[in-house]
Amino acid sequence: MSKPVRAVGIEIAGVNLSYGTTHVLKNVDLSVRPGELFAFLGPSGCGKTTLLRLIAGFAQAETGRVLLDGRDVAPLPPWKRDVGMVFQSYALWPHMTVAKNVAFGLEERRLPRAEIDRRVAEALDLVGLSDYAGRRPAQLSGGQQQRVAVARTIAIEPKVLLLDEPLSNLDAKMRVSVRRELRALQQRLGLTTIFVTHDQEEANTICDRIAVMDAGTVRQVGTPMELYENPANLFVASFLGSANILGDGDGIPVPAGKRLVFRPQHATLSSIDGVPLRGPVTHREFLGATVRYNVQVGGSEILVETPFQSGGELRTVGDMVGVALPPERMLYLPA
Amino acid sequence: MIRLFTLAVGLTLALVLAAGAAFAQTGKVTVVTSFSKDVTDPLKKAFEKAVPGATLEVQNRNTNAGVKFLEETKANNQVDLFWASAPDAFEVLKGKKLLSPYKPKATGIAEKVGSYPVNDRDGFYSGFAASGYGIMWNERYVKANKLPTPKEWQDLATAPYFDHVSISAPSRSGTTHLTIETILQGEGWDKGWRTTKEISGNLRQVTDRSFGVPEAVNSGQVGYGIVIDFFAFSSQGAGFPVKFVYPSVTTLVPANVGIVANAPNKAGAEAFIEFLLSPVGQEALLEPTIRRLPIRQETYAKAPADYPNPFKDKNLHGLLTFNAELSESRNAAVDTLFDQLITFQLEPLKAATKVLHEVDAALAKKDNAQARALAKEARDLIAAMPITAAQAASPEIRAAFTGGKEKSARQAELEQQWAAFAKEKYAAAKAKADEALKLAR
Amino acid sequence: MALAGTRSAGQATLALAIALFLGVFLVVPVATVVYVAFTEKGGGGLTLVNFLDFARTDLFVRSFWNSVYVSAMTVVWASALALPLAYLTTRFEFRGAMLVQTLGFLPLVMPPFVGAVAMQLLFGRNGSVNLLLDEWLGIKIGFMEGLNGVIFLQAIHYFPFILVNLSAALRNIDRAMEEAAQNLGSHGLRLFRRIALPLALPGFIAGASLVFVKVFDDVATPLLLNVKEMLAPQAYLRITSIGIDDPMGYVISVVLIGVAVATMWASALVLKGKDYATTQRGGGGLARRKLKPRESALAYAVVILILTLVLAPHVGLLLLSFATVWSYSPLPDGYTLAHYARVLGDSSGYIKNTLLYSSLAAGIDVVIGGAIAYLVLRTKLPGRQWLDWAASTALAVPGVVLGIGYLRAFYGVKMPDGTPLAALWIVIVLAIAIRRLPYALRAAYAALQQISVSLEEAAENLGATKARTVRRIVIPLMTGGLLAGFVTSFATAAVELSAVLILVQSNSDAPLAYGLYVLMQTPAGRGAGAALGVIAVVLVAICMGLAQLAADRSQRARGLDI
Repeated sequence: MSKPVRAVGIEIAGVNLSYGTTHVLKNVDLSVRPGELFAFLGPSGCGKTTLLRLIAGFAQAETGRVLLDGRDVAPLPPWKRDVGMVFQSYALWPHMTVAKNVAFGLEERRLPRAEIDRRVAEALDLVGLSDYAGRRPAQLSGGQQQRVAVARTIAIEPKVLLLDEPLSNLDAKMRVSVRRELRALQQRLGLTTIFVTHDQEEANTICDRIAVMDAGTVRQVGTPMELYENPANLFVASFLGSANILGDGDGIPVPAGKRLVFRPQHATLSSIDGVPLRGPVTHREFLGATVRYNVQVGGSEILVETPFQSGGELRTVGDMVGVALPPERMLYLPA
Repeated sequence: MIRLFTLAVGLTLALVLAAGAAFAQTGKVTVVTSFSKDVTDPLKKAFEKAVPGATLEVQNRNTNAGVKFLEETKANNQVDLFWASAPDAFEVLKGKKLLSPYKPKATGIAEKVGSYPVNDRDGFYSGFAASGYGIMWNERYVKANKLPTPKEWQDLATAPYFDHVSISAPSRSGTTHLTIETILQGEGWDKGWRTTKEISGNLRQVTDRSFGVPEAVNSGQVGYGIVIDFFAFSSQGAGFPVKFVYPSVTTLVPANVGIVANAPNKAGAEAFIEFLLSPVGQEALLEPTIRRLPIRQETYAKAPADYPNPFKDKNLHGLLTFNAELSESRNAAVDTLFDQLITFQLEPLKAATKVLHEVDAALAKKDNAQARALAKEARDLIAAMPITAAQAASPEIRAAFTGGKEKSARQAELEQQWAAFAKEKYAAAKAKADEALKLAR
Repeated sequence: MALAGTRSAGQATLALAIALFLGVFLVVPVATVVYVAFTEKGGGGLTLVNFLDFARTDLFVRSFWNSVYVSAMTVVWASALALPLAYLTTRFEFRGAMLVQTLGFLPLVMPPFVGAVAMQLLFGRNGSVNLLLDEWLGIKIGFMEGLNGVIFLQAIHYFPFILVNLSAALRNIDRAMEEAAQNLGSHGLRLFRRIALPLALPGFIAGASLVFVKVFDDVATPLLLNVKEMLAPQAYLRITSIGIDDPMGYVISVVLIGVAVATMWASALVLKGKDYATTQRGGGGLARRKLKPRESALAYAVVILILTLVLAPHVGLLLLSFATVWSYSPLPDGYTLAHYARVLGDSSGYIKNTLLYSSLAAGIDVVIGGAIAYLVLRTKLPGRQWLDWAASTALAVPGVVLGIGYLRAFYGVKMPDGTPLAALWIVIVLAIAIRRLPYALRAAYAALQQISVSLEEAAENLGATKARTVRRIVIPLMTGGLLAGFVTSFATAAVELSAVLILVQSNSDAPLAYGLYVLMQTPAGRGAGAALGVIAVVLVAICMGLAQLAADRSQRARGLDI
């Protein structure tokens, strides 16, 4: 298990899925490359968990296909897919010890006892919980429980690993360390992994690529940097980091059906002379490394973040300012 | 929660008070009875018509529960009359001083029905009707299983009847107790128990309610039942395919009524007794759903043609004079013996009886003296009794049941002794019978 | 801490009020009866010799083991009936799941006497099934013979307790628990055995222990099958036989109560620290799996088979109520409406009384059961556990003992006009309420356990007092559970007979079960009794349906997941 497995790719093509009258997934196309740590990112209710459950076999698509290593998995029930899933609630069985939990999947595969024992020990060792084998889940901390859930899943050496909001039940400090551990583990195993989250920071920091989802559709797929630098639409632009969105009539002409989008840190405050965007400062926040200004421009409020320099001059609320914008930072995205 | 609780308590109290206010009434005669609705409803109607202003409030309880009820509520008795068949229940009530004596004014009442005196000699209760015991059977059952039609009690002890007969336990049914007691008095203690056990060896079941027997026969779950006549007649009246016969020697048992001690409406109670004994009341007994035997001879003139008449029919006369004192003296012992030797040992008893039937069949084909002797030994073992007639009525045994000082053993100890006795004898009898069967074949 | 002081003062008052209620209407009446068990007959001081006699009497020892055997086997068979229904209706997309759950409750509502007669006519030695088997195959099966017959009838009668508890437990399991197992390669029966069943164990044990105790203490079914060598019938026969005024009947009653308390205690012990369902986080509603056509056909076949079996008594009852004569034949000779005509005329009083008594009794049960559950689960009052134990003991007190106890304790108490307290119909209500209290109590427990304490803490944090929190938060959230308790108490109270039979003082105060008993003691009353029985079942079913409707509506109005 500690040796890298042969990584497999996942293809999702033309998937539609409804619960009753709710259209949960709409024409989803995705391709996850072998060995990749891939994130489904989006607000709650966007369909990301449903898509994950579809891959695991807990949901049935009305149209479209899910290919695992080039093979259509539609006819396979969940227990024949070899797709390891870590549940948001961890779903550790309270009536079994940690070791029993980890051994479960191996027992279901009718492996010899000796091999089961060896692989349970290995998996627990991998997550650093060898000393807790005899405990019950209720006796463990949240982080430990999460690691048991991971150990339980990787013990069966799945083809791919699915993580459903694996960090949401942990406190802020734990999250940072656990997500690094997860990344390290994934790299060591070379396991194709899908990571569902609503937290862009989690996705950005550890994932190779991200699919940003909204209302059942995939809005854009790319590396974290690509998505940030070149969002394909307003949703992606505003979901990843903050973005100023201006329409026509706010000072700069915008082509019909488009919006002007730019990041707050790409704009600078200037004098009002000769700048199309200008207005009074309505609010100022000191964030440490930067200072954030709200500037009322026409009908819109624009955020501008400027680096803070000790002794630097700050604008005050009420000052009339101009908002200067390098043209290469101006994106025109479809409305 | 507290407020809700207070509300509930308050509501409860209010209901208690409202119920209390609605309870007081006059002219109401309250009667505890084991008689069914079929019997009480017409008599209630007739009584309320005959005595204007009176209402009859019927509390239906089986005999035993009725006695228990009067006993538990004697401190504040609200019941005027106890109305049931079994004379021994009245004896028990009398013994516990729960009845008050009353001499009916009605004249023209027979002193005896069959062999049984109609009225309590101490005047605590009065007979108002009689019923006879007999055998009831389901025609469809008998036909389907190609079984014979019985005529006499002894028939029920023969092989074809094995596992087809039902009876209620004498400890649970006053009238069955009376039947057993009559057999014991008529044939003597040892012979009487032998007969009882021979019939019992063929039993399918011993029910704990009198009505359990006709119920099982009516629905065809058993073929034959030893029942009081009106159960059979009213079953026929309801359309069930059943027949009934009085064996040539039968017991007639009176149905009684007595005034409860400290009755709240003693005058009303007396009026009801007088009504029951009056010609009108006696005639009401002829109704098909009631079907009791009146104790006024002249009433029979108005009865249908085939109505049994104890004043005329020979087989209803009985062969002996029933000794109520003797019966009372060993009441509990007889009931307990039946339970411990028969009801709770029915399986071993039947096992031995079954083999004996087979021996008889084999001997009928080919006689074998040794086998015959062994079979007789087996029958004697079955018939053996743990105590004699004298012991059954002795103060030592009686005290075991009443808790008196003279007792030689506690009731539970006696029961265990008797049960162990029966178990051992029946096992031995079965062994002998098995041996006999081997020889006979 | 003035606030804490008043708070516990209120709780203490409530606890004392309940203790008083249980003391007056349960402990004292029962004590007046069972103390006889500790005295030697004919007076004398306290003694344990009667218990020695019990152990030395073969009949009692045999009866004891027979009862243990029958109760245990009933649990096994009742589980076999309940498991498929519970699992299929909670885990799969199953049309009519609601109907199955409702019909599955009906066997509990079986009127006394007439139900057994109907079963004899269907499954008895010469019942429909055996007559047909005999004709076709020349064999007969002893469904109703001896101890196995008792097990057969009891399993059918009491399996709803397991069904209801097990279904609730299965519904409460976080769906991720089973999905995780599937994800790791488990499915089908193995999945059920290794994950679902262990997790639902608390619910199962709650139901199973209830069934065990009820069967152990049941008198009616064994006696109607003429099985007397069981403990409860032995107690009943001794207590109600004239002439045999023996302490042994009460000794057996004490043993029965002891066994019931021990069973409850043992099940609590087994469940200690195993209340999984309530400790889980996250998850969500249950994802029901789709059945493949072949699986679906099999599932429906199993469900229909089980329902046919458990509803057979009701079918028999219905046939009997329309039958002219039904004797030694697979079906009645003819059909008539006469029985209904006969009972409809004079049973409106019975129906009114039954509705009044049952709803009052069930109301008392829900209030007291809810209060006890609250005191035990949410307060730290010393001795609060005793309230629970005392109330649960009611499960084991034979009806006849309670009835006699009421006569003894309350007949001497006179109302202002001289009527004894025990002669009032409200006493019947109280007796029924006490006998059905354990059902409502268990339901209230389950309901309260599922409510997170944090919801109450939030309310208190926002300034609500304890009492207002209970009224505005706890009770609304418990509504579903309390209603379930009400329905169980109500439905079973409507057919209660044993205590009623002793306490009924006049026909005008009698409930339906009593009228039915009276009818069933006459040959001509069989059909009429069956008709009355059908009316009772329909009545209860309608009330259950209405309660269910009200519960659904209130749950939906609150936006709660049903």
